[in-house]
Amino acid sequence: MTYSPIDRAATKTPQGVARRIRGLSDRTIAWIFVSPTIFLLLAVNIFPLIWTIRLSFTDYRVNRPNNEVSWVGLQNYQRILSDPDIWNTMQATAHFLIWTIILQVLIGFTLAYLINMKFKGNDLWTTIIVFPMMLSPAVVGNFWTFLYQPQIGLFNYVVAFFTGADPASFSMIGDVNLAPWAIVIVDTWMWTPFVMLICLAGLRSIPDSIYEAAECDRASKWRQFWTITVPMALPFLMLAVLFRGIENFKMFDLVVQLTGGGPGNTTTLTSIDLKREAFERWRTGYSSAYAVILFVTVFGLASIYVKALNKVKQR
Amino acid sequence: MSFSVTEPRRGTKWLAGILVVGYAIITMVPLLWIIATGFKSPTDSIAYPPVVVFDPTLEGYVNLFTDRTRATPQMLEEAGPPETWYDAIAQERGTVITGPSRYGERFLNSVIIGFGSTALCMILGTAAAYAFSRFRVPLKDDLLFFILSTRMMPPIAVAIPIFLMFRNLGLSDTHLGMILLYTAVNLSLSVWLLKGFIDEIPVEYEEAALIDGYTRFQAFYKVVLPQAATGIASTAIFCLIFAWNEYAFAVLLTSGNAQTAPPFIPTIIGTSGKDWPAVAAGATIFLIPVMVFTILLRKHLLRGITFGAVRK
Amino acid sequence: MMGFVNGLLRLRRGPWEMLATVLIGLGVVMLMQPFVLVLYTYSFVVTLVGTVMFIIVSHFPE
Repeated sequence: MTYSPIDRAATKTPQGVARRIRGLSDRTIAWIFVSPTIFLLLAVNIFPLIWTIRLSFTDYRVNRPNNEVSWVGLQNYQRILSDPDIWNTMQATAHFLIWTIILQVLIGFTLAYLINMKFKGNDLWTTIIVFPMMLSPAVVGNFWTFLYQPQIGLFNYVVAFFTGADPASFSMIGDVNLAPWAIVIVDTWMWTPFVMLICLAGLRSIPDSIYEAAECDRASKWRQFWTITVPMALPFLMLAVLFRGIENFKMFDLVVQLTGGGPGNTTTLTSIDLKREAFERWRTGYSSAYAVILFVTVFGLASIYVKALNKVKQR
Repeated sequence: MSFSVTEPRRGTKWLAGILVVGYAIITMVPLLWIIATGFKSPTDSIAYPPVVVFDPTLEGYVNLFTDRTRATPQMLEEAGPPETWYDAIAQERGTVITGPSRYGERFLNSVIIGFGSTALCMILGTAAAYAFSRFRVPLKDDLLFFILSTRMMPPIAVAIPIFLMFRNLGLSDTHLGMILLYTAVNLSLSVWLLKGFIDEIPVEYEEAALIDGYTRFQAFYKVVLPQAATGIASTAIFCLIFAWNEYAFAVLLTSGNAQTAPPFIPTIIGTSGKDWPAVAAGATIFLIPVMVFTILLRKHLLRGITFGAVRK
Repeated sequence: MMGFVNGLLRLRRGPWEMLATVLIGLGVVMLMQPFVLVLYTYSFVVTLVGTVMFIIVSHFPE
């Protein structure tokens, strides 16, 4: 009943065509099935990628289409890789990357460990904890600017309530020292559930029998944790860390809505800087070289990630 | 006292439960705050200290869906008594409604692009996943890696050539362009996830069907597709959520015509300064569907975020 | 350690992949470290070599 339209289409297919389809070898079918996907990806990913690489050796500018485009060789790469400002955005990215990963792993693993004790209703609460990571980062990030308002923001009020400071005395996204932490807090709020879910899968993959054997050997709970739980869950943890690393290396939507890269350049992550070069200053050739550098880095990290995926899969 | 040695003690369980529930409540506060702010009046929304108990009003929602202009007393008199409840709310604030806002359009764009790209992605993805799962495809591992790596690429870096390409093809700021783009981005997820789901269907079912005289195509849509229905449905929801939430491509490649809701919601401003209740109302309407989907997906969340590698 | 060198010499996948992974990791660290500008300058070359190596050696036998 479910497939009646297809049935109808099948009966309408002329006999000759049907016989020809019937005669298709598996090899042909494989190609018919795979090629649309590959074709679309070639058109939307690989072709533009090659174009970017080509542009990265030129001084092309989109907003001046009539200018003669000249070949500049490796000059764009040399300029980017010796520019202290871009080096600074890399460090801003590193600060964001390192702290979000540390906090998310600590909180995420702890939560997973607690949930794995299987108290009543743990499924329900797990689903509730997962909500933030499924939502639109731009929309949520935008709303966090409201929570971060100096006098009226809920975040400032809560902090003031517990520390006794004046809620109007600090501005999380307006202060040079606080802004890098403002983005770390929101990202941690949003993505801790991701690390938690993967850690939970890791903890659940450890068979009970191993703990039972350890219990027979009178190993303490503390020892069991470090010699069984952590090593067995480690591949999963690696997976979570790598994926969050890649995602936050290219972070754009959440932070651009929260701080827009400011104040000054304190939260100008790499993607935000690249967006300015490419879509505000319109230095297309230069930003293409910038993009290629990011491509290669992400591609390298992605290959390690796939290796980690396969390792987890074998379990 | 339980007899299993691996089962934690009751007290420990209680403590774990309290800590997790505590975290869940804290993590929900910003989301509940968004929903609550949507029903506040502008004065309540910026009150100090922040108010938890307030008179709910639909003003935020009215402001979200309408364009208003500040009215002189004379204009108000000419307009006469309000005809509808939303006119009444606007007039109470000394404004008159001049027409619908663009939020409705933007929301509709999100729906069109989201569902369009999901549908296309499922058709292409199911076929490719079936082929990767059942047939010997040359360079299979390389192709699969290539497909996955397209997902990892930084959107801003990809956007530069896409921007140029769309401009040359006349696809900038069109629904079709965005549907194709989101389909391409989502294909990696759908191929990997669906391959995992199809791998789990025993090959014997198809072999039996082939022996019964089915062709490969018939075996595919009469045996494999119904078996993979749950997998296809949850993969579709994942693709839909991604297209729904996407911001970077949308903000760079669309403006007037095909702009989706995420780039639009942050630009909502009131007649005097930022209208937070309206922003919150827009966000609430936009986020609630995803929360519902999350509940539907809860059994498959883990698969979705690990590209099908972790099954439980 | 001997096994690692042996694997490299006999073009086995495992040790070569390990080497490429280390190079990519090193490149990323060089890219984002806040200490020496020269390391930042050469980070891209290191990452590129690591990535290309990874693609090639993933076709070596196990």
